[in-house]
Amino acid sequence: MTRRLLAIGAALLLALPAAALASSGTGADEEKFNPASEWTLHEWVPIHLGPLDLSINKAVAYLLLGALLSCVIGIVFMRIKVGSDPTKKQALGETIYEVAQVQVAEQGLPTKAIGRWFPYVASLMIFIWVVNMIGFIPLPLSDEKVEIAGIKLPTLAIFAATSTLSVTLALALMTWIFTFVEGVRANGLLRYLRSWIPDVPKALYPLIVPLEILGQFMRLISLSVRLYANMLAGHMLILTFIGLIFLVTPWIFPFSVLLATVFYIFEVVIVVSIQAYIFAALSAIYIGSAIEPEH
Amino acid sequence: MLSSFLFLAETTGDVADAGKAIALALGIGLGALGAGVGIGNIFGSMIQAVARQPELKGELQGIQWLGFALTEAVVFYGLIGGLLAYVLI
Repeated sequence: MTRRLLAIGAALLLALPAAALASSGTGADEEKFNPASEWTLHEWVPIHLGPLDLSINKAVAYLLLGALLSCVIGIVFMRIKVGSDPTKKQALGETIYEVAQVQVAEQGLPTKAIGRWFPYVASLMIFIWVVNMIGFIPLPLSDEKVEIAGIKLPTLAIFAATSTLSVTLALALMTWIFTFVEGVRANGLLRYLRSWIPDVPKALYPLIVPLEILGQFMRLISLSVRLYANMLAGHMLILTFIGLIFLVTPWIFPFSVLLATVFYIFEVVIVVSIQAYIFAALSAIYIGSAIEPEH
Repeated sequence: MLSSFLFLAETTGDVADAGKAIALALGIGLGALGAGVGIGNIFGSMIQAVARQPELKGELQGIQWLGFALTEAVVFYGLIGGLLAYVLI
């Protein structure tokens, strides 16, 4: 029963941005509906430092909100008095901690490195989960404006900061640099670089060495593109199905809202958590394999 | 209205746009082809493994989801390739 109510609620929430889009579509210039326009980031607070563009835009706002919420989750669920009779709050906090420790950190990191790198992978997991999750909650942070009672308010829209490549690339770059630094610190530069190359006959070196070096850079691409494309495709699917109402015929709405809701639930229940887990687990595995290359 | 409902495109469109649309669809479609086989393999093996040794389920689950995400990402490389073809060319 509650599940059915939840599905209806999700469908209604999904219909809200659509209604807002419809009202804005009848404006002065009839522009064509294009789902990709959700990803053009307008500058809200322009900050330009030389060639650097540090302007605050939609993605930055979502990231700040995500960072704040991650801190709140940590403080509310984990920085509490631990009793022998666990409350619901404590049980939830312990579950999150256990997933981060058993499923993520202990899977990839060697025992001696857990103390140093557990905080990094755990906060990576919680942060990405939160940013992914608020990406599926309609928030009034859109660039489109709607007029309600004479006040121009931003419309409700779904947008994930992790569906922009810059964000995921920055996260992946952190893991990539930490991997290199830890590898060099644990093994020394030459031994670490030597560990990239597997034991093969010397005649194969001209073939293997460039491939292995390329492989190190491919990690960066695969780590960032995986999260980026997953979130992008999820949002694009939902927006496109809603957009069919405007592109094809309004009478398609039962079909498109239903499909959009199905994808919405799939994304929220499965993809959001899996991607956060995968990103953290792969970070742990990369860092762990740099510390103990033979492992 | 009926023709637009059935997605019957008019023949007087831009051919370049049609090519881009085909590139995008092929990118996703061929990516999904491989990943579909791969994901089926992973879950099939998981079912077999748990049926043989149910006590290992907890340990296997982590590896299963890791493999699932690694395989699933292949679709999205295809999607990104298709989008690049759509946007850049």
